[in-house]
Amino acid sequence: MNTTRTDIQKGRQAHTAVNVGRIERKASMIGGAALAITGLTKMKNMKFIPGVAMMAAGGMLLYRGKTGHCDMYEAMGVATAGTEDAGLVVEKVLTINRPPQQVYDFWHDFQNLPRFMQHLDMVQKTGNSTSHWKAKGPGDVTLEWDAEVIEDTPGERISWQSLENADIPNRGTVEFHEAPAGRGTELSVKMQYFPVGGAVGKMAAKVAHGINSRQVEEDLRRLKQILETGETPTACLVPECMTTH
Amino acid sequence: MKAVCWHGKHDVQVDNVPDPKVLNPRDAIVKVTLSAICGSDLHLYNGYIPTMKKGDILGHEFIGEVVEVGSGVKNVTRGDRVVVPFPIACGDCWYCQHELWSLCDNSNPNAWMMEEIYGDTGAGIFGYSHLYGGYAGGQAEYVRVPFADVGLEKIAPGLKDEQVLFLTDIFPTGYQAAEQCNIHQGDTVAVWGAGPVGLLAMKSAAHMGAAKIVAIDKNPERLEMAFNHCQAETLNFEEDDVVEALHSMTGGRGPDSCIDAVGMESEGIGMEAVYDTVKQTLRLESDRPIALRQAIKACRKGGTISIPGVYGGFVDKMPMGVVFAKGLTMKAGQTNVQKYLRPLMQMVEKNEIDPSFIITHRMSLDEAPQGYKMFAQKQDGCVKIVLNPQARSQATH
Repeated sequence: MNTTRTDIQKGRQAHTAVNVGRIERKASMIGGAALAITGLTKMKNMKFIPGVAMMAAGGMLLYRGKTGHCDMYEAMGVATAGTEDAGLVVEKVLTINRPPQQVYDFWHDFQNLPRFMQHLDMVQKTGNSTSHWKAKGPGDVTLEWDAEVIEDTPGERISWQSLENADIPNRGTVEFHEAPAGRGTELSVKMQYFPVGGAVGKMAAKVAHGINSRQVEEDLRRLKQILETGETPTACLVPECMTTH
Repeated sequence: MKAVCWHGKHDVQVDNVPDPKVLNPRDAIVKVTLSAICGSDLHLYNGYIPTMKKGDILGHEFIGEVVEVGSGVKNVTRGDRVVVPFPIACGDCWYCQHELWSLCDNSNPNAWMMEEIYGDTGAGIFGYSHLYGGYAGGQAEYVRVPFADVGLEKIAPGLKDEQVLFLTDIFPTGYQAAEQCNIHQGDTVAVWGAGPVGLLAMKSAAHMGAAKIVAIDKNPERLEMAFNHCQAETLNFEEDDVVEALHSMTGGRGPDSCIDAVGMESEGIGMEAVYDTVKQTLRLESDRPIALRQAIKACRKGGTISIPGVYGGFVDKMPMGVVFAKGLTMKAGQTNVQKYLRPLMQMVEKNEIDPSFIITHRMSLDEAPQGYKMFAQKQDGCVKIVLNPQARSQATH
């Protein structure tokens, strides 16, 4: 059903000068190891998504502690949005048994995106072509950014990108093609993230690579489920999903 | 409520668990009045289906009474007696709209697992591992039925629970197996496995015009059932050379169609059976395809192999050269139960087929653990066990 192409594109030159103090380095290593291990444990329990995010964050801290170099510091004040040659690219296609115009209309209202993109808390319209996005980052951190639509062809294609000072610079393009013989819409999505530049960013992206791909896949599956059936299926058996007669 | 839960290989127990509730608009809660143990439940019992977790509620063949519906369910109301098809299907995806209900795109919450293993997803199934969605099953007092507006079929008044119970799975499964054979008047159909699905495939094949039906099994009681209820000729694979015998019974042509109603835990004799058992035990092969190999070798040129038996992974030594040389057609898959519900219920109403003849044991829910053991070991002539979750245990009361 899905086909995927995910690439870590060539990042900027790795930069490894020491810019973190000794005590702070040690704290980073301990905290990083704990986060990474917790992340691994979560993965084992099949709670992949937060697990991998935690592993990535933990890995980044570990790296910082070990090398004395923090890309987060380096990245501060560096605007990576719009750079063509950095970041993580996830591409997916899937077929939704609904006409292209209907799928386009649903996506075009960005406020619908958190209904199927699990990491998004909310998207709010702030202008004709601008919106404000809030996402859940690793360990309850909220990541925010403003985005602007850079291309909008009704029923066919929407592109957007984050504006300056985004917590995670990103961009996306979604295309809606009519599928053959009344099979609905072939949706193709390309998302690009630019997680804190340089070597650590690349490493984190590598760790998170599988999951980001799956996350987008699961997001699109939810979109299909909502548009086709009006709900998302669940087999939930945790106490909140049960009762007593 | 009480429910039959999987605790590990050869270990099922009746546990007290919380009741289900409506979680989505298209859900219904059904009070189970009759539930069966399926031959495919034995694959779970014997530990051959991956992604089972301790405490999972079993059961995918059950009927009952609607006790609650979500806001999106208009076709049934509280108090209706209903049949619940084992594949959960949304009714909205391309597959559902083309009567391929068991291939539903949307009903499996763990679709990614199946995509990883099989390359694409299939419908969620009640009580049949997390690979098939992780849904709680119907060997319980109550069950939550997703997409109830599509799945549930009202039971025609006057029909007894036992007459319609098998519309949930094995009757449509046997029927689809026969339908896939594209039977013409006068055909010979050979059926491997005279268990519930095999027997109902024989009944269905006869209904579709097959002139000669051959049942293949090793269990005398089952072969007797095939002879008595389905007018089948019988072959015992422990005594007869099945392929030879089928050829001599058909003037050297071979059966027009062959149905493998056995699947991944097929038994055989001699070196071949030892080979597959060793490989499966060592996990070098996930499925033992002995019946399937025989079916391929026996089938006439241009004939059809229909496979309702469950396979989970890889099989060895498949005679693909035979499939090619004889121009065989192979058809397989889970049953699109929703497609057959109405026509088969009408058939039962008109008394053309009464599938309840396969029932050999009736038990309360509490007796399910003994039932599983008895069924797995084919003790006491066990062909089909039905459980009544509303009945008190005879053992304890």
